[in-house]
Amino acid sequence: MKLRKLFTTDSVELNLESETKDEVLKELIQLLGLDDKSEAILFKTLKRRENLGSTGIGKGIAIPHCRSLVVNELRLAYGRKPEGIDFQAIDDEPVHNLFLIVAPPLEVSNQYLPVLGKIAQFAKDPDIPEKLQEIDEATQFLDLLEERAP
Amino acid sequence: MMSPDPNTDTMHPQLMLLMELQDLRSQHRELEKDDGSAPVEREHFHIDPAEARAQLAEKISELEERLDPQVRARYERIRPQRERVVVPVINGVCYGCFVSIATATVGDQEVHQELQSCENCGSFIYVVS
Repeated sequence: MKLRKLFTTDSVELNLESETKDEVLKELIQLLGLDDKSEAILFKTLKRRENLGSTGIGKGIAIPHCRSLVVNELRLAYGRKPEGIDFQAIDDEPVHNLFLIVAPPLEVSNQYLPVLGKIAQFAKDPDIPEKLQEIDEATQFLDLLEERAP
Repeated sequence: MMSPDPNTDTMHPQLMLLMELQDLRSQHRELEKDDGSAPVEREHFHIDPAEARAQLAEKISELEERLDPQVRARYERIRPQRERVVVPVINGVCYGCFVSIATATVGDQEVHQELQSCENCGSFIYVVS
């Protein structure tokens, strides 16, 4: 599965406004276009996952992820916070790039874990954080995925 | 921006609790399996799967205590028989047993105000729009 196919321009936000970890999670969730109830439940589930250990994997990258009943297919979103945000990342550095991954509990195609691994590999590529900072439009993000995560 | 106090008052609080429990159980189950999330969580997120499972189990017990006695009894009855106590209903089909649910049940906009279950398999249901 190509990562490019899992994002749309609507699920990409290059200027996140939030200033706290909780707010930024909510802002990312909003990119999925769920109803209020589903957003609230998903937020709780993501928070519980974060309580196990931050999904900030270092080098300015965070990948909040979970399975949740509120989606019926694998959903992804990308958000960028150019100034960075405190996400309690493992290297204690601010996070600039956030990839949200939400999968349903039952998933026939079983894409969740491979996609999670693929996003982590993509984001850890040494020059990707810099390239993500250079992006001006959502379509450029999709092009970068096409090019670097075929 | 999503409100800091999300509008969840149209959802039955016990359904909300059951869904939380369901999601926590999914996480717990996935961390148990070698082909589940444990290797990914360990490698990329530096999570100790055993420790994470213990934390989740504690939270699960805590939330179970908050279930109303009647709901708890049904929850305990369904759980040994089915991996998932709450199942999504998508396009009118129960994803616990893959049988169509009555239109009157899933068509009501306020469907989540009541705690409903599938007449066929007995699972609590959550309608995914």
